[in-house]
Amino acid sequence: MATLATPVRKRGHEDRQAPAVRAFRATPFTYGTLLIVAAILTTPLVFVGSIALSSDATVNNGAFTIIPREFHWDNFSRVFGTELPVGTFLLNSVLISLFSVAGQVLSSGLVGYAFARLRAPGKNTMFLIVIATMMIPTQITMIPQFILFRDLGWVNTFLPLIVPNFFSNAFNVFLVRQFVSRLPSELDEAAMMDGLGFFGIYRRIMFPMLRPVLIAIGIFTLTHTWGDFMGPLIYLNDESKMPLALGVQYITATSQAGQAPPWNMVMVGSILLALPMILVYYLGQKYLYEMDISGGSAGVK
Amino acid sequence: MATSTAPKAAPGAAEKPASPKPRKQKLSTRRRREALSFYLFISPWVIGFLVFLLGPMIASIYYSLTDWDSFNPPKWVGFDNYVKLLTDDPVFWKALWNTFYYAAISVPLGLVLGLWLANLLNKQVRARKLFRTLIYLPTLIPLVATAMIFRMVLAPNGPINDFFGLFGLSGPNWLLDGPWVKPALILMSAWGAGAATVLLLAAMKGIPRELYEAAEVDGASATRQFWSITLPHLTPIIFFNLIMGLINAFQIFSQVYILIPKGKNPAGYDAAQTMVPLLFDQAFSYYRMGYASAISWLLFLVILVFTVIAFRTTRRWVFYETEVK
Amino acid sequence: MTLGRAQFSRRGFLGLGAAAGVITLTACGSSAGSSDKPLVMTVWGGDPDRKTYQARIDLLVKKHPDLKVKLQLIPGDSYPQKVQTMIAGGNGPDIMQVAESVNTYSSKNQLLELDDLAQTAKLDPEQRFGPVGSLYTYQDKLYAIPDRSGAVTVFYNKDMFDKKGIKAPTAEWTWDDALDAFKELTVPGKVWGYSGAEWFPQWWSLAYQNGGTIIDANGRPAVASDEVVEALQWAGDLVFKHKVVPSKADYADMGPDIGGDQAFPNQKVATHANGFWVMSGLTKVSFGWDIAPMWRGKKQAVSAFGSGLAISRTSKQRDKAFKAIDFLTSTESQAQIIASGQDVPANLEVQKSQAFLKPSWMKTDVDMGVFAESSEFVFRAPFIPEWNEMIDTISNGLADFWLGKERSAKKALTALQKDLEALIKSGA
Repeated sequence: MATLATPVRKRGHEDRQAPAVRAFRATPFTYGTLLIVAAILTTPLVFVGSIALSSDATVNNGAFTIIPREFHWDNFSRVFGTELPVGTFLLNSVLISLFSVAGQVLSSGLVGYAFARLRAPGKNTMFLIVIATMMIPTQITMIPQFILFRDLGWVNTFLPLIVPNFFSNAFNVFLVRQFVSRLPSELDEAAMMDGLGFFGIYRRIMFPMLRPVLIAIGIFTLTHTWGDFMGPLIYLNDESKMPLALGVQYITATSQAGQAPPWNMVMVGSILLALPMILVYYLGQKYLYEMDISGGSAGVK
Repeated sequence: MATSTAPKAAPGAAEKPASPKPRKQKLSTRRRREALSFYLFISPWVIGFLVFLLGPMIASIYYSLTDWDSFNPPKWVGFDNYVKLLTDDPVFWKALWNTFYYAAISVPLGLVLGLWLANLLNKQVRARKLFRTLIYLPTLIPLVATAMIFRMVLAPNGPINDFFGLFGLSGPNWLLDGPWVKPALILMSAWGAGAATVLLLAAMKGIPRELYEAAEVDGASATRQFWSITLPHLTPIIFFNLIMGLINAFQIFSQVYILIPKGKNPAGYDAAQTMVPLLFDQAFSYYRMGYASAISWLLFLVILVFTVIAFRTTRRWVFYETEVK
Repeated sequence: MTLGRAQFSRRGFLGLGAAAGVITLTACGSSAGSSDKPLVMTVWGGDPDRKTYQARIDLLVKKHPDLKVKLQLIPGDSYPQKVQTMIAGGNGPDIMQVAESVNTYSSKNQLLELDDLAQTAKLDPEQRFGPVGSLYTYQDKLYAIPDRSGAVTVFYNKDMFDKKGIKAPTAEWTWDDALDAFKELTVPGKVWGYSGAEWFPQWWSLAYQNGGTIIDANGRPAVASDEVVEALQWAGDLVFKHKVVPSKADYADMGPDIGGDQAFPNQKVATHANGFWVMSGLTKVSFGWDIAPMWRGKKQAVSAFGSGLAISRTSKQRDKAFKAIDFLTSTESQAQIIASGQDVPANLEVQKSQAFLKPSWMKTDVDMGVFAESSEFVFRAPFIPEWNEMIDTISNGLADFWLGKERSAKKALTALQKDLEALIKSGA
C-alpha cells in the first residue's frame, strides 16, 4: 500500500470530471446524515467551550448550557493565576514532549536505516524480534520498569518518561525501514564510492531524505507523550513537575471535599491540552496521512 | 500492496553492491565494517530492548511467582497468584468480563461507524473537507481531555440526557448506575470513530475506479457496489484496525480512571473496573506487586489469544489484492 | 532542571542489572543524606488542606528555625502509590499523614515506632488527645501521633425543624425517633428528611450502635451477624422503603457531583450526618443550621474521621521529624486547623478552647461542643492491614444494595462476608 499516497491525489482529479457512478452519488440523505453526525460529534466540543467560558457561580450551580450564554474569556488568563501551576504544567508538557520526540526521531531513524540497508548476520532474526515486540502490552513491563526507575532514583523526575524514547520503538523502526526500502539505492551507493562511511551516508544523504517519515514519527511521539496519563501518574509526585494531561486531572482530584471541581478551569485546561494537538495535526497532516496508511496496512502481514 | 513491496525492496538493496566485484580481500573487510556499523546503528534498539523490555519481562515473570509488597524481600509462592486469580478472585473475573464487554462492543461499533461515515464521505459531497475535519476532530483530543469532557456530557443533566428529555424520556445515570457505566465508556469510544474513518477513506480512494464502472454497466445498485467492491477491498485495513482496536481496548485505563474516579464514585468504578485499573490498584494501592504481575501476564495471554484467533480467521474474510493479481 | 541530574550511583547500576535479567533484591540503602535537607511531609487532600498545613509549617519554622519542612500535597486517590514509591525507593517521607490504612504500613514494618521518641519528648498521647491517643497503635506499639480527629455529627436545618415543630436532634434520640422526624421532614420529590446512610462510616455507626462489629475480636470479618444485618437493613429502608433519604438517582437529578454534602446546603435534605468538612459549604447559606451528636441505638456509637502523623522507617532525620510532629500537634499549631476551618484538631485542649468553640469565621451560633461530647462514644474502627482492600470490597459488595437492586441486607452481607473472609486470612 506504499504506493497509495500518489494515486489518491490523481484520482481526486478524475473525480471532478467523470460523472459519478451510483456508489459515489451524493443524495439528500447523504447530506442529511452527514449533517446530523457532524452536529452530534461537535456538540461535546461546543459544550466544552461553553463550560470553559462560564462563571464560577454557574460552575457551583452546575447550570451549564450547551450553547454558551456567558463569555468569561478571562478564564483563559485566570487559569494561569490560580494556585494550580497551569503554566508550569504546560511548560512540563512541552519539555517532556520535545525531548521524547528528539529521542525517537534520532534513534528510530538510525535503527530503521540500518535494518533497511546494512547487511549483517542475524539481521533478519533481529527484525523478527522487532516486529514481535509490538505485541507485548506495556502493562507487562509496567511494574518492573517502575522498580527499575525507582532503584535508579529517577522517580519524580522526567527521566522515566523521556529516556526510553532514546532507544527507539518497534513501530517507528518499522516505519523507517519501510520508507528507506522504497528509496532508490543509487544515491547511497554513489556516496559510498565517494568514500563516505555508513554514518556519513546516513547523516548526509539519508537523514534529509527521511524527513517525511521522521516528521510523521515526531507527530506520533508528540501526540503520545503529550496526552500520556499513566506514565506521569506513576512517576511524578510533585505538582511542579506534572505535565498538563496529569495536571488537568489533578485539578479535579484535589478539589475541596464537598465542593464541585472548578469545571470552567478544568475545561480551559482541557482546551489547552487539545489545541496544540489540533494544530500539529493540521500542520503535519500530509506526512501523517501518508505514513498512517502505509504503516497501517503494511502492519497487517 | 506494501506486502509485496517490502520483501522485494530488501533483496534488491542487497544484490546491487555485489555486482562490481573488485578484489575479494577488500570486499570482506567492507562487509565486516558494514556488519559492525549495523550492530552499532541498531544498538539503541538492542539496549532498549534488553533494558526496557526483555529484562523487565523476565523480572515480571519472577515477580508473578512471588508474594511481594515492594517493601520487604519477595517471597516465592510458585503459581499461587495465578491459582488464586483464576479460582478464588471474583473481582478478577468481573474485571475480565468488563474488559470483554467493552472490547466486544466498542471495537466493532467503532469500525462499523467508521466504515459507514467513510462511505458517506467517499461520495461526491460538497464541503467534504469540512465534514471530514469535523468527524476527525474528536480523535485529536487527548484522552484525558476527552474523559473530562464526557464527565460533563454524561452528567445527569448533561447534553445527552437533555436530548433524551426532548422526547420526554429521562436518561440514565450514566456514570453512577452500574449497568450504564460500561455503555458510557463505549459511547465515549464511539466519539472517536473518526480515527478509522480517515484511514478507511484513504483506502477507499485507492480502489480502482474501473471496478465500479464495470459494476455500473451491470446495473448494480449503490448498496450492491458497496458490498461487492468497496467492502472486500477494505478488509485488510479493517482487519488491521480490528486487531489494533482490540489490543487497545483490552488495555483501557485512563478513561476508567478519570471518567469514574474511584474516590468519588466507588460504585461506578466497581461496575466498570477493567483489567488494567485492577492491575494498577493491586500494585499501587494494595501493594501486591506479585499478584499484579500475574494479572499482567494473564492480560497478555488474553490479548494473544484474540490476536491469534483474528489471524487464524483472516483467510476466510480478508481479501488481499495480491491474491487477485 | 531534573533532566541534567542523571545520578548514576552504584545503586543505579545494580538496578540496571536487575532489569537485564539478573534479579537482585533492593538490598543496600543509599547512604545517609545530608541533614540540611528539608523534612519532607506528605499529606493528601485539596487546596484548603494545603493552606492549613503550610500555615502550620510556617509557624513551626518560625519557632524552630533549625527545622525546614517541604510540604507535598497528593490527591487522595494516588496517595498510597506515591508514598509507596518514596518509601520503597529509600526516600520515605519524614512526616507522613496516615489514617485508617496506617497498619498497611506498620504491619509491613515501614513506619517508625514512636513510643521511645514520645517518651523522650515527654509527649503523653493519652493526656494530649484522650482515648484517640492510642488510635494508631499496632500490636501495642505507637506508630502515629493523632493530628485531626472529629466525630460524625448530625447537621440539621433549624428552619425546617422549626417549621414542622420538631425538636432538635439529641444524643438520646432512638432509631424510631429519628425515623419519625425524617418522615415528618420529607416532602416527596423535593426535600428528604435525611442524607448520609450509604457511606461506610455512616452505616457502621448504626451497626456498632446495634452491638455489631465489622471485624470481631479475633480479627475475623463479622458483617453477616444479626446486629449488622439489622442496622444495614434499617439504613437501606430509609432510602428505599421510607424514601426519607435520597437514592443515587435522586442525587443525580440534583446535578453533577452532588451528594449529601452539597444537598444539605442546597436545602434538599433536612438532616445530614457527616464529618466536619460539611461546614465549609455552610458558611454562606441563608438558613439556620446547627449540629447535634449522633443519635443512639441499643448503645451510643459513632464513627470518627481523623488522621495522624507518622515517620517512615527510611527517614534519615527521625529526631527532627519527631520534633516537628510534636510541635504540629501542640496547641499552638493545632489552633490553626480550626482557625482556617479545615477540620477538628485532635488536641483536646484546643477542642475545648474558645478558638474552637467560637471560630472567627463562623457567623452563626453553632454548638461546637458537640465534637468533644461525641468523642466520648466514638467506636474504634478496625484498622486492619488490609484496610484499603476491605473498604473496596465493602463498597463493591454493597453496590447493588445501595442501588436498590438487592433489597435484603441479609443477602448482601452474607455475600460480603464471604468476600471479606477470602480477603482477610490473617486473623490474629
